[in-house]
Order: sequence, then structure tokens, then C-alpha cells
Amino acid sequence: MDILFLVFQQTMFFSIPLLIVALGGVFTERSGVTNIALDGMMIMGAFTSIFFINQMQANMSGQSLLLIAILIATGTGAIFSLLHAYAAVNLKADQIISGTALNMFAPAFAIFVARMIQENGVQQINFANTFRIQSVPVLGDIPVIGGLFFKNAYITTYLGFVILILAVIVLYKTRFGLRLRACGEHPHAADSVGINVYRMRYAGVMISGALAGLGGLVFVIPTSTNFNATVSGYGFLALAVMIFGQWRPLRVLFAAFFFGLMKTIASAYSVIPFLSTSDIPSDIYKMVPFIATLIVLAFSSKSSQAPKAVGIPYDKGSR
Amino acid sequence: MMKRILALLLALVLVLGLVACGGGAEEEEPVVEETYEIAMITDIGSIDDKSFNQGTWEGVVAYAEANDITHKYYKPTEQSTDAYLAAIQLAVEGGAEVIVTPGFLFEEPIYLAQDLYEDVMFVLIDGNPHNADYTEFRTNDNTVGIVFAEEQSGYLAGYAAVKDGYTKLGFMGGMAVPAVVRFGYGFVQGAEAAAAELSIASIDVKYHYTGNFDATPEAQTLAASWYAEGTEVIFGCGGSVGNSVMSAAEAAGTKVIGVDVDQSAESDTVITSAMKGLAAAVQTVLGDYYDGNFPGGEALVYAADMDGVQLPMETSKFATFSQADYDAVYGKLAAGEIVLLKDTDESGAAIDSATKLGTKIVKVTVVE
Repeated sequence: MDILFLVFQQTMFFSIPLLIVALGGVFTERSGVTNIALDGMMIMGAFTSIFFINQMQANMSGQSLLLIAILIATGTGAIFSLLHAYAAVNLKADQIISGTALNMFAPAFAIFVARMIQENGVQQINFANTFRIQSVPVLGDIPVIGGLFFKNAYITTYLGFVILILAVIVLYKTRFGLRLRACGEHPHAADSVGINVYRMRYAGVMISGALAGLGGLVFVIPTSTNFNATVSGYGFLALAVMIFGQWRPLRVLFAAFFFGLMKTIASAYSVIPFLSTSDIPSDIYKMVPFIATLIVLAFSSKSSQAPKAVGIPYDKGSR
Repeated sequence: MMKRILALLLALVLVLGLVACGGGAEEEEPVVEETYEIAMITDIGSIDDKSFNQGTWEGVVAYAEANDITHKYYKPTEQSTDAYLAAIQLAVEGGAEVIVTPGFLFEEPIYLAQDLYEDVMFVLIDGNPHNADYTEFRTNDNTVGIVFAEEQSGYLAGYAAVKDGYTKLGFMGGMAVPAVVRFGYGFVQGAEAAAAELSIASIDVKYHYTGNFDATPEAQTLAASWYAEGTEVIFGCGGSVGNSVMSAAEAAGTKVIGVDVDQSAESDTVITSAMKGLAAAVQTVLGDYYDGNFPGGEALVYAADMDGVQLPMETSKFATFSQADYDAVYGKLAAGEIVLLKDTDESGAAIDSATKLGTKIVKVTVVE
């Protein structure tokens, strides 16, 4: 039973950052802008927020520090994403190129600045993890469910679910969401009824930047004791999750947990009773999510849910 | 109209600016090209990886500053022989007399470079030069290869851990490069030796290479799963992989053994670190060069007898393993009384698995 809890808790560490970042991807793509710079935005968000934690941890600790760090991470991501938005919307640049540029810029910037501003002159930014909740009061004592959801957890785990619910509401139940989706499907039609396509696309990209920045922080906190200017390519993995989830928040949730569970099993199968005795090599588990993505893409390519106008710069003049 | 005036103004500014620059250049002194006598080329990983790049660089800096010699490090653009050679060329053009290269990945680039730049001295750490398909090993007179006895360092760590009462151990290496493998095999043998002395019936060692030197959720999950199953201490042996292990240990309330340098400052969970004396070795060899007796053509092995390996006993958090215990086992290593298996056997063939070390008490479980 303990192993089951462990697998579940570890799955969260994989899934929640993927979920948050992939939801960010949903927002930007739904508005019609491809954002392959999610990885770079994760790095920037993690960089500023971890640096903040590093500077402030002598004076504060625990959840209040984490909450401020969360705000900083989202803010950094949103501001950094403006570069992408400006290139993609105002300059009508190739969005893959500008995204690639940001992905290359972010780690270099994080390393350079960390070395410049840290007194010891190294690129790793250390932090003390005072954010883990051993057991949530009351809720942690509930049998089974307490062990699954409320032990060895982070506040960011619950935040991930809150963001998911908000994403569903915003995208499908608000005027803003409808307009955002319209801009990704048929921007000319949206423009003809008076929606400012540029503004909506800016909004989409900035939301994705904010969520990706947050995802970077959420990714680093449980998995290391320092930030080393990398998120191990999880921004790209989040893109795969988004596609596997067919640009729909609830399916993205499913996809994120599927990826997370497979990653956990691939790493921890040696202690899972049933799997440790089977002869399946761990490489198989590592491959499963990607093979599944390929299969889903192959079978759904005709009825793909991808927004129609994604990746195409909007030009008011063209017909 | 406004636009035209603006354009005119801009053009004027540009022209004036150019003229100003042109005038300035004539008065400038002839540019003296800066040169750097001691150069270091970094391996994959950065100059501050808290591991062998950093240890080597600290040695370079310490020697160069003490003797007032110019020094600089170069970072290859990518991990390939061509990129490493390009970085070496850059260093040579930058006036390098001695080039220090940490990492066994430099074995092939140095094999080529020692012929290309015969006037430049090469210090290769963690390896000896050979060609691409390992058919020819050759160390010219302008090159010295330095290898550390990592198996002794790992041995000390494994020995100390078991002596200190731990019976369920784990080894999590980065890439299975020779240095990491030697650390791991030494660790297993050290645990075996201590268990035999204490007549412990059985010791469990879980054994894994992550395949990279990064902190990842994968490494953290693996470590967390081992800890959950009862593993008490994990030897995190591969750059940032150790940080993921520490993260898992903090959550589980368990222990970690660090690697290469003293990692006790990284996390309270670090009970000791299997160190190798990178900085000291680099300083010694640089000193030899400037004294005119560069050990060219040699393959040096820095082991316990040359203080090439150690545990940082001052910062270690052992309950029962004392300085006297450490000195006793270290003395035996230095005197050559303890002979260890390395990553290859006597015939040079690779020992491809930690289960083939012939341990009787220690049960090694290799996790793929």
C-alpha cells in the first residue's frame, strides 16, 4: 500500500508541471499562436522565482515564501512571453523561429545572470525545500484518500487542479474564452464582428507564458536542491501532452497523468511488486507515452482538433 | 515633411558618428593581443558543476594566481571530438602553453591534438589518449594522463557507510563512464570489506546508472522508490544526479553520500562525500611543468598513497565511524594492502556488471 501511495505521489511531481504548462499551451494555440518556447519560459520562470527563494529564505520559509515565488514565476513568464507575442503578432514572424530563439536565449540568460549576480559566481541557484507538506491537517488522516492526495504533497499540486478548473471555465464558459477560440479558428471572422485579434492573441501568449513560468517553478521544487538553468526538456514534453490531449483541458489532464504515471513506473518499477518480477525492460515504459502520442496523432489526423489558424500570422489586409 | 527631416537628421548622425569613430581609431595604441598561458577546456557540464570541471578549474586558478600566470577556460560548443579540437585550437591561438582537459571524453581529441600542437603541453585528467577505435594508445612527451583511483574513494565511502551501521545501500551513477564505474565498484567492495569485519550476514546494494548528469524527476523518483523500500543511504555519483537524490532523501528523511568534492553544504542529508583530489593533482602537474620537469608521456595514477582520494572527515556526519577507523583503512589503501577490482580486470577486459565483483555478503541488485 505504501508503494501505491509513493507511486501516486511521485506521479504528481511529473504530472502537475506537465498539466500546468500544457494548459498554457492550450491557451496560446487556441488563440492562434504556436508557442514552442514553453521550455524557455519554464526556465525563465523557475530562474527568477528560485533566485527569489534563494535570497529570501533566510527571512521567510514555508508556504508564504512559495506563494510569493509563484507570483514571481507567473509574472516573469508573462513578461518574457511578450517577446514571442510581439514577434508573432506585430511582426508576423515565423513563430517556430521566434520560439526557438527564446528557447536558446533562456538557459543562456539564466546561466549568465546567475553567475553575474550570485556572490559565489556559480550558475546553480541553491534553495532549501521548506515547502513540502508532510501531511495536510485533518485531510491527511483520511484512510486511502489521505495517503493518495494529502501526504508528501505541495501546495502547487492543488494549484494545478485549480488552474485546470479555471481553464475549463475561462475557455468554455466566458465571452473571453469564446473570442480567444474564435481567433484561433478563423481570425478574419472574429475581426469582422469587432474582436481585436491582436489583443486576444497577446492574451493567449501571455497566459501561456505565465503558466509555463509557474510550471518551471513547480517542476524544480520537488526534484532537486538547486536550479541549474534547465528543466530537462519538459516544456517540449508538455507540447506532446497538449497534442495528445487534443487541445482540450480535460483530455490534457488525462494525458498529463498518463505521461506522469508511465514516467513514474519507468523509474520506480523495481520496487513495484508486480512489475519487478516481470521481464519488461524499463525502456518499454519510457517509450509508451510517445508511442501512444504517435498512434493518437495517426488516427486523429483527419479529425484533428488543432485550431485551424494556429501558427498563421494574422494579417488584416489579406482575404 | 516631418519624416524627411527625421531621415535627414538620422543620416547626419550616422555620418558624423562614423567620422568621429574614424578619428578616434587613429589615435589608439596598437592593439596588444592578450594571451593566456594556462588554458582549460571544459567537458560537458559547466565550470561550476561542483564536480570535476570545477575541481580542475580551482586547481588551475590556485596555481596560476599564486604564480601570477595568465589563465582562461574555453567551453566547447558541443560534445564531440571536432568541437573539442576546435576549442583546443582556440586555446593554442590564444597563446596557451599548457592545456588542461578534464574528462575521459578528451582521450581522443588529445590523441590527435598532441601531434598537431607539439609545442603545447597537455594535461588530460580522467583518462589516457587513444585513437577513435581504441586500437592505439599513445601518450607523447608533451602529454600527461592523470587517472584517479576512484575505486579507492568509493571503497572508503562504502566501507564507512557499512561500518557506521547502514546495511541497505544504493548506488546511483550518472553516465557509466569509467570514473563513475570505478566509484561504484569500489563502493560495493568497500561495503563487502566492512561487512566481513563486522560479520554482518547480508548487505543489500541497489545499483543504477541514470545515463546523464542532470537533476531530473526520473532520478528523484527512482531514489524515492528505493528509500521507500528501505534503502538507508544512496551514493549519488554523477553531477546533478546527486541533487535529485538529496531531494528524495530530504522527503524520506534518509541519507546521501556525495561525490568528487565535499558536498556537505548542498544538503543536510549528505553524511560524507567520496572525494578525489583534482585541484591538488592539477597544481602538482602545473608546478612540475614550470619547474621544467613535466612528466610527459606518463600515465599517472593518483591513489591513496598520493592523497588522490579522501573522505572529508571534518564535515562527515558519522555516528560511530571515527577518524581512527578512517586513518586505519586509509593507511591500508595507501600501503597497497587492499587491492581492488577496477572497471577492467587484469587482462584489460571490462567488468560489465557490478554483480560480477565476486562479493559474498553484499547482494548487488542492478536496476536497469
